Amino acid sequence: MNRLRSFFLKLLSWLLPDSVCLWLLHGRKESLRAALEDALAETLLEVLLEGMSLAFLLLRGFRRNLSGFSGKYLFCTANGGVALRALFANGQMSVLAGESPDYDVAVTFTDSAALCRFLFSSDQDILASLLANDVTVDGNLNYIYKFGFMARDLIGRLSLAELVDRMLARLRTA
Amino acid sequence: MTPVSLKDLALSNQKRSPRVEELRKAYFDAMPEICCERPLLVTRYSRKQRLLDKTAISVLDKARQYRYVLEHRRPVVAHDHGMGRDLKPFPVKARSLFAGSTTSHFKGVPIFPEFLGQTLWPELVNIKQRASNPYFLADKDVQILNQKVFPYWMKQSILERCRVRMNKDRADQPIGHRDAPEMVLMEYLVFYLTSKGNCISHTIPDFSQALKIGLRGIIEEAQQRGRAAKDSEQRDFYAAMVEAMEGIVTFSRNLAREARRLAKQTNDASERAELLEMAVVNERVPEFPARTFREGLTTVWICWTSIHLENPDVGLSLGRLDQVLYKLYNDEIRTGSLTIDEAMELLCCLWLKIGDHVPTVPAAGEQLFGGTGSNQAITVGGVDTQGQDAVNDLTYLMIRATELMMLRDPNLNARYYPEVNPPEYLRRLCEVNLNTGATPALHNDRAVIKALTSKGDSLEQARDYGIIGCVEPGSNGRFYGATGTLLLNLTSVLELTLYNGEHRHTGLGKLISKPTGDAASFKVFDDFKQAFVAQASWIVDRATTLNEALGLTHQEVYPTPILSSLFEGPMDKGKDLIFGGAIINSSGATIVGFADVVDSLAAIEQVVFQEHAISLPVLLQALNLNFVGYEALLARLRNPEKTHKYGNEQPDADGVARWVATTLDGLFHAKVNYRGGRYRVGYWTMTNHAGFGRLSRATPNGRRDGESFTSGMTPVSGVTPWLTSALNSVASIPAGLLGNGLAVNLKYTPDKNHQDKMLDDFVASVEGYFDAAHGGTGGMEIQFNVTGHADFLDAVKNPQKHDQLLVRVSGYTAYFKDLNPQMQQEIIDRTEYDLATGQAVQFSRTA
Repeated sequence: MNRLRSFFLKLLSWLLPDSVCLWLLHGRKESLRAALEDALAETLLEVLLEGMSLAFLLLRGFRRNLSGFSGKYLFCTANGGVALRALFANGQMSVLAGESPDYDVAVTFTDSAALCRFLFSSDQDILASLLANDVTVDGNLNYIYKFGFMARDLIGRLSLAELVDRMLARLRTA
Repeated sequence: MTPVSLKDLALSNQKRSPRVEELRKAYFDAMPEICCERPLLVTRYSRKQRLLDKTAISVLDKARQYRYVLEHRRPVVAHDHGMGRDLKPFPVKARSLFAGSTTSHFKGVPIFPEFLGQTLWPELVNIKQRASNPYFLADKDVQILNQKVFPYWMKQSILERCRVRMNKDRADQPIGHRDAPEMVLMEYLVFYLTSKGNCISHTIPDFSQALKIGLRGIIEEAQQRGRAAKDSEQRDFYAAMVEAMEGIVTFSRNLAREARRLAKQTNDASERAELLEMAVVNERVPEFPARTFREGLTTVWICWTSIHLENPDVGLSLGRLDQVLYKLYNDEIRTGSLTIDEAMELLCCLWLKIGDHVPTVPAAGEQLFGGTGSNQAITVGGVDTQGQDAVNDLTYLMIRATELMMLRDPNLNARYYPEVNPPEYLRRLCEVNLNTGATPALHNDRAVIKALTSKGDSLEQARDYGIIGCVEPGSNGRFYGATGTLLLNLTSVLELTLYNGEHRHTGLGKLISKPTGDAASFKVFDDFKQAFVAQASWIVDRATTLNEALGLTHQEVYPTPILSSLFEGPMDKGKDLIFGGAIINSSGATIVGFADVVDSLAAIEQVVFQEHAISLPVLLQALNLNFVGYEALLARLRNPEKTHKYGNEQPDADGVARWVATTLDGLFHAKVNYRGGRYRVGYWTMTNHAGFGRLSRATPNGRRDGESFTSGMTPVSGVTPWLTSALNSVASIPAGLLGNGLAVNLKYTPDKNHQDKMLDDFVASVEGYFDAAHGGTGGMEIQFNVTGHADFLDAVKNPQKHDQLLVRVSGYTAYFKDLNPQMQQEIIDRTEYDLATGQAVQFSRTA
């Protein structure tokens, strides 16, 4: 079923203009917008990963990031509240719940605000993250750099960059 | 000994030529542009030859790779445009006298995906708009790096390969805790950093062979030795030398061909003549011996830019150019085929070429440690291998070129041997410091030679030292010393001692090292010192273990055939530098936070153990609260009249300084590196004292949370009221403990109305510091900022008005505007002395 859905959505991405594909992502974009506006939302990571997953199917340009890429990411909160895995293989991304010892990189963060800073940060926020010591990484850092590019690329394509900047500014003054 | 024939040592008539003026203006106008040429060629070749799948890459594989890159680089004779800060290209009308460039851009950012190039990945889309030191990157180049370069190196970068090597037996560790503890400690950022993830060589090549026999001579010798070699590894190494050198020869020929092509196209006769002359030079060198000064400089330049294709631009240095090029210069001056004007224009063009690239620094790096150039040191003056005065006319020309150009790179370092080099030479060096405000750094030969011989270098090798990167001394062209391999935050040792193996940055309650005793349990200061040594030993073990693992990773996949071919030792030994091919094979650690730790230890000794004014637990409480509620204690700890401070000739505090230096020298010297050499210790901090300081909590010397540490081996700012005492304290630390160099940063108040008097006092201060009083060697190194307090404050407010303001950080020079705010503040807050009185000038702290 999933493979059929993926095939269908990818087909749409070839048949439809980008603007229509972006419109199809509207629901995810609004969820992401809502999660970003409330940077402390526990759902941010899940919304981001799900949105990214769908964007890979619908946006041809964005999908180029997956070409030849395979990787296993584990994201979890320090208190054990959230554990999500993002798996990249065969030109697809899937999101799974729960921990697994099989990962290329594991990111442990104290809260969604820390994760926001870590993923989207401008200069000062990276420093804030370091000072607060609120994100730790175990594994291959190059996977984090790649993920950082994809996350920012997605935010740009969804025209959410300004919102992210505002959110980061708010976190700085919080 | 080479007689100086110049009548005016200042070369006052020499000005920047119109060509140099135009190029210099473009240099300052240009925004650095990320260059994809090298990473794309390296990746393409590596994929084609399946190098990325290999667990080990041979020196021959590497050499063939670089030959491919050198032969396929676009030959750029001259850049016709630079990238403006408004993100629009602007024309560059003048042409340098040297063809070729480090990257494909007028001012480029080289990318090494094998090292830390991928740290820029998340920023690629908006790197041209980032707040600190943005780089231009065209949209198409974003996609090249994102799709055609970085993905292939995700599992191949040095740091990642090392991580996998160290984690081999850690698969059973809990989720999130598989990385080796040595690596995790580095990622906390407050304990130590190792540069091997970003750097393969921090040294000085040997240009003398390339100049004397040309690369063809090196090729022929390598071929001969290869035929005679009995084992296959040696045969491969010599074959690799041939491949690497042939690549450089082709690169230069390609430039010559391009110059001829351009000459054919132009209708301007003088332009045509210039291009044809360039073609003739590049057809000749570096393949064959240099016959003229210009050919000599071109040899150095072409070899230099080729070395940078193999070695990331992290403090690789050029050495004693006034010595290796002097004969070529002097022969031509004597025969009249070269004028001083022409020589000066050539030098100025070379100075600009050397600075044609900036290092790759990600945003977080800019925030913590930003503002650095590539730190390419040039050394002038001093003595020759026989101990004779080596200052010559070319020395003065290079000093004048530096004065005229006022550039961050190259980083000029001047050697001075008291009573051997002439006093007028020292006076000239001080004068240039007054005129430029920040350069050159001055090195006392007597102390440096003692430092190097103490570590086993022969007297001749030590006398032939050059400066590497910031301030590190190493024998020219034969010392593969990796001088910047470890940066140790010494305040973390103090922290682990105070908190019984825990660190406030990583959280109290979490054991980081090993317990060495509760603070309340220390009865006497010696107990405390013992715990400090145990913690220092623990952290030195961890840092060197990581460094060794990185070194072994280099051996596995990153031999350096280009540099090995231009170095003394590998040809004779038949092995690459990375396997110990050099004559001298040490590693270098540098210590951050020296003076803060010394003053903290001195304070603990006096206030807690001698006077019993407070207990150690109370002091810890004050530190945890950042002295809030303990203002009286803070005032006492900061007051040099009440609490002992290093830098005031106070015997207890200066004794602690010597004890700390002796302890660290002993701990590091006991370690043998992967190339068979030993570790040497230095005290220069670049901008790391600001970065580490920002991440660190309050310290017992009265430093509050997040404040910068003090740079290099300089006494803490604001606690040393007298210049002479400050210099004498520093000079009292034996040179034999300082094998990896040191930086002492001083700030003098400029006095434009009494320049001559100020110059007299300036010279006297250096002479006093270098004076071998009391049987010692005198102080080893000193560097200056001579810019007024008000000018610094104005430069913070109006950076564009002061965009060429050059400052000494701790080792290298930087443009003040490029430094992060904390580093700017650290420079502003440094103790400033009025040379007329020798007393510190009082300013209200602006932080």
